[in-house]
Amino acid sequence: MNLLKSYLLPRIAQWVITVFIGITVTFIIPRLIPGDPVERTLSSLGSLQTLDPRAVESLKEALADLYGLDGTQFDQYINFWKRLFKGDLGPSLSAFPTPVIEIIAKGLPWTVGLLTTSTLISWSLGIALGTLAGYSPKRLWWQIVDKAFISIYPIPHYILALILVMVFSYYFPIFPLVGGASGKPTLSWTYISSIFEHSLLPATSLIVLSTAFRFIMAKALTTTVAGSDYVGYAETAGLSKWRIVLFYVIQNTMLPQVTDLGLSLGAVFSGALIIEIVFSYPGIGYSLYMGVFQADFNLILGITIFSIVGIATAALIVDLSYPLLDPRVRYK
Amino acid sequence: MKIRFDIISWLIVVGLSSVLSLGCKDQPGTTETTSSSSTKSQLPVDVPRQDVFVVDQIFRYSIVENFNLWMPGPPSPTRQGLIMDTLWYIDQETGEPINALASQPPIYNKDFTQMTVKLRSGVYWSDRVEFTADDLVFTVNNLKSHLGMNWSTELDLFVKKVEKLDDYTVVFDLNLPNPRFHYYFEVRYNAVWMQPKHIWQEVEDPMTFKFNPLVSLGAYEYADADPAGYWELFKRRDDWQRTTAGMLTEKEGPPYIMTIFYGGSERKAIAMARHELDLFMNVDYEAFQAVLQKTPTARSWYKSFPWAYPNELNGRYFGFNLGQDTVLNNKQVRWALTLALDIVDLQTEYIGGVARVTAIPQPATPRLMELYHDPLEEWLKSFQIEIEEGQFYHPYDDSVTERIANWAKTQEYNVPTDASKLRLMFGTGWWKHDLKVAERLLLNNGFTRNANGQWLKPDGKLWTISMIVAPDEVDIYRLAIGAQDQWADFGLKLELETLQRDPYSTRNYMGEFEAISSWGNATSGDATADKWQSIFGLHSRFYTPVGKSTAGSGSSNTLRIKSKEMDSIIDELDRLHPEDQRVVELGQAFMKLWIENMYSIVTISFKKFVTTDEHYWTGFPTSENPFIQPLYWFGGGRFTLQHVEPVSQIAPNR
Repeated sequence: MNLLKSYLLPRIAQWVITVFIGITVTFIIPRLIPGDPVERTLSSLGSLQTLDPRAVESLKEALADLYGLDGTQFDQYINFWKRLFKGDLGPSLSAFPTPVIEIIAKGLPWTVGLLTTSTLISWSLGIALGTLAGYSPKRLWWQIVDKAFISIYPIPHYILALILVMVFSYYFPIFPLVGGASGKPTLSWTYISSIFEHSLLPATSLIVLSTAFRFIMAKALTTTVAGSDYVGYAETAGLSKWRIVLFYVIQNTMLPQVTDLGLSLGAVFSGALIIEIVFSYPGIGYSLYMGVFQADFNLILGITIFSIVGIATAALIVDLSYPLLDPRVRYK
Repeated sequence: MKIRFDIISWLIVVGLSSVLSLGCKDQPGTTETTSSSSTKSQLPVDVPRQDVFVVDQIFRYSIVENFNLWMPGPPSPTRQGLIMDTLWYIDQETGEPINALASQPPIYNKDFTQMTVKLRSGVYWSDRVEFTADDLVFTVNNLKSHLGMNWSTELDLFVKKVEKLDDYTVVFDLNLPNPRFHYYFEVRYNAVWMQPKHIWQEVEDPMTFKFNPLVSLGAYEYADADPAGYWELFKRRDDWQRTTAGMLTEKEGPPYIMTIFYGGSERKAIAMARHELDLFMNVDYEAFQAVLQKTPTARSWYKSFPWAYPNELNGRYFGFNLGQDTVLNNKQVRWALTLALDIVDLQTEYIGGVARVTAIPQPATPRLMELYHDPLEEWLKSFQIEIEEGQFYHPYDDSVTERIANWAKTQEYNVPTDASKLRLMFGTGWWKHDLKVAERLLLNNGFTRNANGQWLKPDGKLWTISMIVAPDEVDIYRLAIGAQDQWADFGLKLELETLQRDPYSTRNYMGEFEAISSWGNATSGDATADKWQSIFGLHSRFYTPVGKSTAGSGSSNTLRIKSKEMDSIIDELDRLHPEDQRVVELGQAFMKLWIENMYSIVTISFKKFVTTDEHYWTGFPTSENPFIQPLYWFGGGRFTLQHVEPVSQIAPNR
């Protein structure tokens, strides 16, 4: 009961406040940008077809009414919360009348699938390799791996992505250039393997760089822990190296790494714009990008809500998991 | 240690094997080429490669399988031409009007308050129902009664009544005289697309209706799409002869047309090298050179230099915000800036010599040059500006094309020797590069130079001009950099503010700029003689002050020009039928007025590296055979695509 009052409830309240403020700020900011969705639509129409200025005023009014932008901004804000509690994110203003939720539903599985998988792989790989390298720093093999990751880490993501595209889609054209899969979605091996085939290059670019970061972090943490008394005592006691690494080293370096994992997983809802552009891979990053530049308030808000809730929830889960992972937190 | 090494070795072997097996295996769901394995196609559709013509989709769709193209939203390149239809088209290459669903041009009464349309018989929707006057009447009334849909407010403004006289005759009674009412049904890019009455009359809410399953009036029907919006596939209708595209071209076109979004220039170049893209709209100069090197079967409009298609009806300009109180409001200052530019250097060193120069606000295309540039040549040669009281100066330089040709020869390009052919290749004359006269103009208007040779404004402050530009529109960006370099040599600092396209457009419409490198506006043209479409929005009755968007007022006057002479030209033009003899005279009068005031510095016409790979398909228009517009992404592209046919014999490793 005490844990609930002193630890759980304040953090849940913090989650609610974070989400509310985040969504409110996201509602306000796009409306401060000069121009609005109606004018965006009118300028787009004017560049494509005969648009008589004498008929523009009535079109402007009709579109404002259609887009739900005809009241005061406060009215729009209240209407937005009413809709949100019903699970309705409104129509996309740049792809009217398509519901925002439909656009998100089409892009989100690709983003979440790719980023979650690559985050989990790079996290596991980075910790495993970094810990072993940190624990046996004098081994030639680990020194080579160490140098390799330190060299890879500063490479900007888009450069690595472009190199992969050039090598595997141009000089050796063995991977597809566009999309997330081939053919109609089915539960067949053909379709599933095509997903794997399309995601391999984007995932590789993500995994390589993220693994390098996590390798460096895990190695640094391990180096500190490996010099501690309890590890020295375990070695003196003749415990096997695998046992020392698993139960003495990794367990004690886990706390910051779990935080990293939680926040990284929470951030997958923000999308991966560079991946989508360089690899022509589906996802919500490009939709958000276009939403921002087309003043599509509803689309911006819809995607950002997922992002805000994702990150806030991940932070909450990480916070709540600390007592389970670290007895010192529990005892406090 | 050994165990660890074995595990790592095993992981590497398995990883590499997976990559290679995935990369090398044949995908059942993909298309394949008949050429070498290095060009194995991996298009994401289950159609034989030889049956599908793959075209550049320009952008990624945010939503697919919604065919309600009557709702405002992202434009629909290619799609509208394949599945929609309307009454008339203007071929953007030849300027010829095409009677599509209408069997003849519109018939107006004397005061332009009534328009009669005669419809073509024997045209069918893809569900085997004939297109008739009922569909046209229904479409107009349906749009009129749903304000907010495309064309709804214009039809509401002008159409008093629309009725059918018989199955193939419709009469429009108009609220206001309008000699251009038919423009709403005449395609340059877009126009009022017909709705099948037998489908739409059952629809409760036309504004949310997706029109899916689609009933097509074009030669193609929807087949498949990527849910993520990267591609769409269209299948040729079995009864394509019963569509206007089929009837007018008598060509069947490819069995399938796939539109696909690859992304930036470099990705399109890669896709074409892999023979996974047969036609693209445009790439930047460097990517185009890569295409020529890596894809021997690819070509653009010209087989060799200057390659690019030069006849899209638009132009580039440096504009100044005349709604702000700056020194740029003085036309002599604008003339000084013009004379401080070297167009030959701009066109060659910054644009690669591949676009036509134009001095007047009208694209320099063959047809418009006949109507405007050539007749105005004598006037341009005799035109003078006053540089000091009583001292006049001829600013026009007709040697520009010759000097560009000389540059091309130094680059070892083959260029014609005939002056008229050079003019068709490189455009018209332009303004002299005369720094002395530019200096006199500024000195005369109170400007001075400091010890470093930099210009000071009449108030004694250092003169810098801030110019906004969108780098993704490559030519305006390169021209702006050229102007920056050339004006720097003249002692003037030009600060470039680079913006992403949408904030750039917003700033343009709101008048939040001092100078702009841009396109369109008065420099855009029409394939016909009529200048009305690009200048009507410049009338002062639509004037929008700085801080309010011209997009919201319908004005195209982003430069905030106010001119009574211009108003009277527009007023007279507005009353005339577009085929009236006086239309060209008024267009020319408008251009003279523009030049006298140098409202904007017009530089070059549009060029696009519209490029085809003739590995699988041929029949696309070229400079040697310019029978139709290559602008396949315009509505009229429906006729162009119909002419595409397979290369009969594909040589191995071609």
